[in-house]
Amino acid sequence: MSTPSAKTATSGGKATTKTTTTTVVKTTTTTQQTLAGTRGAGSKVQKPRTTAAGKKVINSHANRELNNNGLMRFSRGRMFHRRALYRINKWKGDQAKLQGDKTKKTAGSIKKRRSPALKKKPVGGDRNGKERFVRSKRLPRYYPTEERPKKFSVKRKKFSSHPRRFRSTLTPGSVVILVAGKHAGKRAVVVKHLSSGLLLVTGPHKLNGVPLRRVNQIYVIGTSTKIDLSAAKLDNLDDKFFKRVRPAKKNAEKDIFDSKKEKSQLSDERRQAQRTTDAVVLNAIKANADSRLLRKYLKSRFQLWNGVLPHKLRF
Amino acid sequence: MTSSKKVEKPQGAFIKKGRLYVKAVFTGFRRGKRNQHENTALLKLDGVNNRRETNFYLGKRCAYVYKAKNKTLVPGQKRLNRVRIMWGKVTRAHGKSGGVRAKFNRNLPPKALGRRIRVMLYPSRI
Repeated sequence: MSTPSAKTATSGGKATTKTTTTTVVKTTTTTQQTLAGTRGAGSKVQKPRTTAAGKKVINSHANRELNNNGLMRFSRGRMFHRRALYRINKWKGDQAKLQGDKTKKTAGSIKKRRSPALKKKPVGGDRNGKERFVRSKRLPRYYPTEERPKKFSVKRKKFSSHPRRFRSTLTPGSVVILVAGKHAGKRAVVVKHLSSGLLLVTGPHKLNGVPLRRVNQIYVIGTSTKIDLSAAKLDNLDDKFFKRVRPAKKNAEKDIFDSKKEKSQLSDERRQAQRTTDAVVLNAIKANADSRLLRKYLKSRFQLWNGVLPHKLRF
Repeated sequence: MTSSKKVEKPQGAFIKKGRLYVKAVFTGFRRGKRNQHENTALLKLDGVNNRRETNFYLGKRCAYVYKAKNKTLVPGQKRLNRVRIMWGKVTRAHGKSGGVRAKFNRNLPPKALGRRIRVMLYPSRI
């Protein structure tokens, strides 16, 4: 907001009969009216963030990015016109001149002092003329054959921040058939969607031996059986938690003849996570109407046999 | 909820893995009357009889499983095995009657003609 002093100093139009204390009327309309002639150099206009109704004010003259691909809706020339920079820049220059403020850089209105392009240099030898005009700044001795190649806009998203999509049948709490890997044929419960696009899945371990495990969506068939896991809070389980921990490299001297592979130990953290998650899932199963059936279902295995055709099955 | 094998086994008992692939037969290579293109195999899937039904199997991995004389290491197994696999995938339908085309990493050997090919249930889209 503009300072009261600035307002009283230059608001010639308004009657300033009250000289001692000036009440600053803070309605949005009046501040904008007086702004035209009242801003001191370098003060910024604070446009209201929310309208009176409480809605966010979007500056319709601002540029925007198209579809997150680094391209902008309006080109530089267009933006110049949209923002009326031809007026603003001149105005800024005039203001700076008014204030006599030479340290302020305004758009093009105050010229910098240039050092002269040529300067005189004394030259030796009696028949060379005493002096020469020489460039004060030398020309570059290397001109690249092409301009610096344009780098991709930084706004391009990295793969790690791309949105991951999940099949609608694989919501947290759905029972799922693992179709590949060590636990193929077993039915497990989807616990969570991980940010890497993987599913976090658990047996529960007691029922069918499937641990808390990450699984790719393509190795999983979603069934229509759902368990209500909305009560669960599982924030600490993410990709980092499950990332494989590679043993630190040992000295090269020892390693060649030590052919023992270290067995990966199940960390206590993991055991704890398994217990807590399974407790939640088992409670949810108990709470379900078909809890006995569900438990048997999760214990059973999926199979195909004669006459069972997966394209005709309703999962 | 269809399996009748719902006997409560003690925890840790080994429940045998059932079949998790669809049976198919390698019927031949893609061909015209007089020319044959071995890079594409034609498969006849069990129980799939029209083009609409093949939609489920598109993209699924298939395996030609065979045995050889010399034993080799198989990933996931510790003992040497005679079993070998050639992997491929179902690429598209072939004709109206449920046939399917598949491309294998290396072309199928002609002695596989008429032999069993396993079409797995992954990559799953359901």
